[in-house]
Amino acid sequence: MPAWNGKIMDFAYSEEQRMLTDSLRRLMADAWTYDKRRARQKEGKLSQLAWASLSELGVAGLIVPQDFGGFGESPATMLTVHFELGRGVVSEPAISSAVMGVAILSNCENVGLKGRWLPAHAEGEAILAVAWQEEGERYSTRPLCTKAVSSADGFSIEGRKVLVWHGAGSDALIVTAMMDGEMALFLVPRDAEGLMIADYPTMDGSRCATVTLEHVRVGPDALIAKGRAANALFDLAFDYGLTALCAHACGAMEYLTEATIQYLKTRKQFGQPLANFQVLQHRLADMLAHKEMALSMTYVAATALSEKDAARRSHLASMAKVEVAEAARFVGENAVQLHGGMGVTDELEVGDYFKRLTYTDLLLGDTYYHLHRVQNLAA
Amino acid sequence: MDLTWNSEEIAFREEVQAFLREKFPADLREKTFRHQRLKKEDYIRWHRLLCERGWGAPNWPKEYGGTGWTPVQRLIFEIETFKAGAPRLLSFGLTMIGPVLMKFGSEAQKAKYLPRIITVEDWWCQGYSEPGSGSDLASLKTRAERVGDKYIINGQKTWTTLAHHADHMFCLCRTDPSAKAQRGISMILIDMRQPGVTVRPIKTLDGGKEVNEVWLENVEAPLENLVGEENQGWTYAKYLLGHERTGIAGIGHCHRELAILKSLAERTTASGESLSLNPRVRDDINRIEAKVLALEMLLLRVAANSEAGPGPEASILKIRGSELQQDLARLQMQVAGADSWPYDPDWMHAEADFHGPGDEFSAAASAGYFDMRKTSIYGGTNEVQKGIIVKHIIGV
Repeated sequence: MPAWNGKIMDFAYSEEQRMLTDSLRRLMADAWTYDKRRARQKEGKLSQLAWASLSELGVAGLIVPQDFGGFGESPATMLTVHFELGRGVVSEPAISSAVMGVAILSNCENVGLKGRWLPAHAEGEAILAVAWQEEGERYSTRPLCTKAVSSADGFSIEGRKVLVWHGAGSDALIVTAMMDGEMALFLVPRDAEGLMIADYPTMDGSRCATVTLEHVRVGPDALIAKGRAANALFDLAFDYGLTALCAHACGAMEYLTEATIQYLKTRKQFGQPLANFQVLQHRLADMLAHKEMALSMTYVAATALSEKDAARRSHLASMAKVEVAEAARFVGENAVQLHGGMGVTDELEVGDYFKRLTYTDLLLGDTYYHLHRVQNLAA
Repeated sequence: MDLTWNSEEIAFREEVQAFLREKFPADLREKTFRHQRLKKEDYIRWHRLLCERGWGAPNWPKEYGGTGWTPVQRLIFEIETFKAGAPRLLSFGLTMIGPVLMKFGSEAQKAKYLPRIITVEDWWCQGYSEPGSGSDLASLKTRAERVGDKYIINGQKTWTTLAHHADHMFCLCRTDPSAKAQRGISMILIDMRQPGVTVRPIKTLDGGKEVNEVWLENVEAPLENLVGEENQGWTYAKYLLGHERTGIAGIGHCHRELAILKSLAERTTASGESLSLNPRVRDDINRIEAKVLALEMLLLRVAANSEAGPGPEASILKIRGSELQQDLARLQMQVAGADSWPYDPDWMHAEADFHGPGDEFSAAASAGYFDMRKTSIYGGTNEVQKGIIVKHIIGV
């Protein structure tokens, strides 16, 4: 377990956390409404305006170290922020870029890359995507076909990455590739010659992409890390991503539960509000309890991000994902059920939240994957 | 109790299988197995093949042009046709209004409508739910007033499945506004091809547009379009819902989806081996297969006791069948894993090639899961079904 130091944790938000989350909640209420979200989705590409408004409140620079123009915030603050973004069912690359991409660069040894990309990211002017998945093996974190070779003037990368979360909206991709029999991480600018991106919508209305690399040449400074260091960086970013994703799901569950409570109070059948029926009241109570368990497990994952023991950290992050996925399914499915026929239409918010919760279950490894990971880490 | 299939049933199964091998079109099979959307022509094409074989109304007695099959034969037929990838039968005519007309309809109604259901010359839809009357169906407000020799109907219906294809609607209307909820309701047959009928599609979570809102504004129906007696519509509606629930259990659907799930797990690789060898996945699939087998036997037990039409035990079938359809769709999506992220509505309409990664099937995996959420809501929510079980079987 994490060190307790004999004193109890402080669950109250600090003054700064409270101000930050209040601002985010106002932003969500104002600019992440059903109509505005749907309109942005229809555009099919990242809204610069939406990203700028999130960056202004510090989302993009949240965990960027202060030395590189960011806020260097703790995992606890990251949790509170992504919880709010989940309440707003944000589709922008807050996790893929501002958590995972930033976690890799912030913790790597390549000072040149850090200086080039991190301050720009904190300003909201550079977006990163992590291209790790490939075809052929379910959720494999080991590159299968993507290979890099070193040459006199840098590296040449060849291969194909699939399901790159927010790949098309990024300015640079962090690509995993095999080099000399071990994994390496490269930073590949979006405009590199030989890099092709085919973008498609996902089940929740956000985007992912297939990225093809044909003899993409990058300079010697594009290598982020290789070997054990690359694996360690990737695992760290994965666990950061999992924690932020869990927080996002908890926020979405909270909002969805509130929306369902409101609906049951207003919808009348048999001459009374649906909220009067005990069987539905108990369902609401279960939804709430699921959300609280999931949020508590997300706290465990956030605490674990400061662990020195990486295996322990990953173990707890995966455990959190398993717990949150189960809760997310319960809350999402029951929110639809309690909305009745209206719940299965594409015309209410409940569908957007249900779809996002379904997507988070399958993002960054599903329950089968994480139970397998827990088993391997324990062995 | 004799728990073996008799030789006639075994021979019948083989007869159905042989027919499917010989006649069922491969392109339709492919479409259903990939979960691509079926068009009106697809349903009709399948139905016409059945008609040619004399199987146009598998659940009807011979006197009305049906097959006269036993409940067990019907079940075998459903399972075998679904397993082969056949589209579902057009239930609104065949299993809903058809049996109601046979029991409660006038001779003229039977002569006019029943033959055209078998040949799909008429497409029917169900005018039950309204925006304010879902679970509490008896609170419906659509009004039918007698004016001279006809009814003038005004109101709004919703969740009307495939109404955009329909020629006729069997519609629950309030004919006596002063009577207590269930007492003043009548069932009236409405010609949809007249002014005053407006159909608007409702887009559902999966991106489909199968259900509709229907507005009825001064719509006319001659008095002879009343089914049975005036203000007795609730009795007919309940009779019909019993039939609907048995069909909703979807045993054929479950068998087909289980086969799809297994084949998807076999084709998927994780940690260097087929996902079907992964003990977690394998156990989940085995558990769900046990439930499919149990549901089939439960259907047989209910069918054997229900020559006169299914009783309240149909609610058990509806609850468990709908949950099973949902669990199968969810497991398919989970097995597809990350490959189920892309959502490609054009491919689902068979209007574009699939460009995403992974198996073609995975393009519709999330849509299948989203779509199946309706099964625990339509035909009376599962909460309402549990109420029926408590009231009519348990008796408290």
